[in-house]
Amino acid sequence: MSTNSKGTEIAAAGVSGPARRLSLFGPRLLLEGEDGAAYDELVGRICAAVRPADVIDEIFIADIVALEWEILRWRRLKLSLIRTRALQALQDFLHRTLDYDLYSGHFAERLTEILQDNVPEDRPEDFAQTLAHACARNESDAVDQVIEILGGIDRDMDAVLDGARAHKAEELVQQYVRHEPDVVTLVNQLLANAGESIDDLMADTLRNSSLLNYVERLDRLATIAESRRNASLREIDRRRAVLGQTLRRSVQEIEDDADGVLELPAAEGGNAA
Amino acid sequence: LTSARKVRANRANARASTGPQTTRGRARAARNALRHALSLPVGSIPALSEEVEALAREIAGPGANAATRDLARRVAEAQIDLRRVRDARHQFLSDTLSQGYYSYAKMRMKVKILRALLLPNSPDISMDALEFATSNPSLEGPDKLATILLEETKELLAMDRYERRALSRRKFAVRAFDEARARTATMGLNVTRTR
Repeated sequence: MSTNSKGTEIAAAGVSGPARRLSLFGPRLLLEGEDGAAYDELVGRICAAVRPADVIDEIFIADIVALEWEILRWRRLKLSLIRTRALQALQDFLHRTLDYDLYSGHFAERLTEILQDNVPEDRPEDFAQTLAHACARNESDAVDQVIEILGGIDRDMDAVLDGARAHKAEELVQQYVRHEPDVVTLVNQLLANAGESIDDLMADTLRNSSLLNYVERLDRLATIAESRRNASLREIDRRRAVLGQTLRRSVQEIEDDADGVLELPAAEGGNAA
Repeated sequence: LTSARKVRANRANARASTGPQTTRGRARAARNALRHALSLPVGSIPALSEEVEALAREIAGPGANAATRDLARRVAEAQIDLRRVRDARHQFLSDTLSQGYYSYAKMRMKVKILRALLLPNSPDISMDALEFATSNPSLEGPDKLATILLEETKELLAMDRYERRALSRRKFAVRAFDEARARTATMGLNVTRTR
């Protein structure tokens, strides 16, 4: 029997009975970041559903669990890739289309940080903040002053604006993922204004050739694992059918034998009851 | 009838298609089978042989006859072989994931862009391309695993072939074992009835 170190670790870790038993056929093949408790729960559920009759049933169950885990892994990875790419596409879209009003606050904050490090020390403490906000409100004196300061440190206003827009786009995407109602409405409105929808962005993402290659590969791996899992399920069915047939035949033969024993001998010269 | 010219050409072609020609190439090819040792039979590895015997005993159950024990050993061999292949694949994925991984395809594109930049009359290159060429090439998160699966297909397919064979061997071994056990059960019943 397998006595490898991982199997022993599982036994020592106080995991459920079925999980400990199945670890005899190999350790849990978890990748970095995967949840061992969720794996054990899957083992428990499948064992409860199949009720293994012997060691070979247990071998097939260990197989089914490992393959099911793999199927779930590839599906999760595929969804995660599509989701990451779709959110990146949404972020790019927002970065391209955000109105200045939506990120002027971020621009002021970013500009304040830059100015604080680069204004003369004799200026009042809130000078950088006041100047940045005045610049963000597009007051011409403030804009000129900021351009001059930024020129002195080899930076330009467009880059700061772009950084603020990117930051706001990223923030909006995070809020969109959390389903914050105001942000969901805003994003949908921006998409509608541009004649697009989140589905269009998703479709564009899927058209991206490198993502399609990944998706195809993951689908292929999931299909292989599914067909192997189904083969193991069929083997359990077949074994149950064979066992069932053998049991039925045995029971029938035992009953036939019992009938023979119970059959009363015919009474001489009389009728058997 | 094949002409003498064709025979000569076939022989010359065959000589050209017999693997590596250099001593270094031949030495490297000779180590192929040892890379995962998956082509070695389970019986030739002492630690695994012990596991096979232990599992076979458990499958056969107490008081099994020699024929049943033999069939149980076939099931156990295939099962341990299957576990060995899956462990090897898992180890490969875990090891690759734990190291910095660079997409070969992306690296090639980056080198192409950077090489173009170094030319005396370098062509106009967009900011996006330049950003891509100078970005951190190491992959993280879901992209890393997906890229490993895509770019290490050859290695993973080789392991998959071993897994498929082990699964097939186990299926037929289990069926043979089940048939033998059903026969034994029927025979046992007949003996009981005869008595």
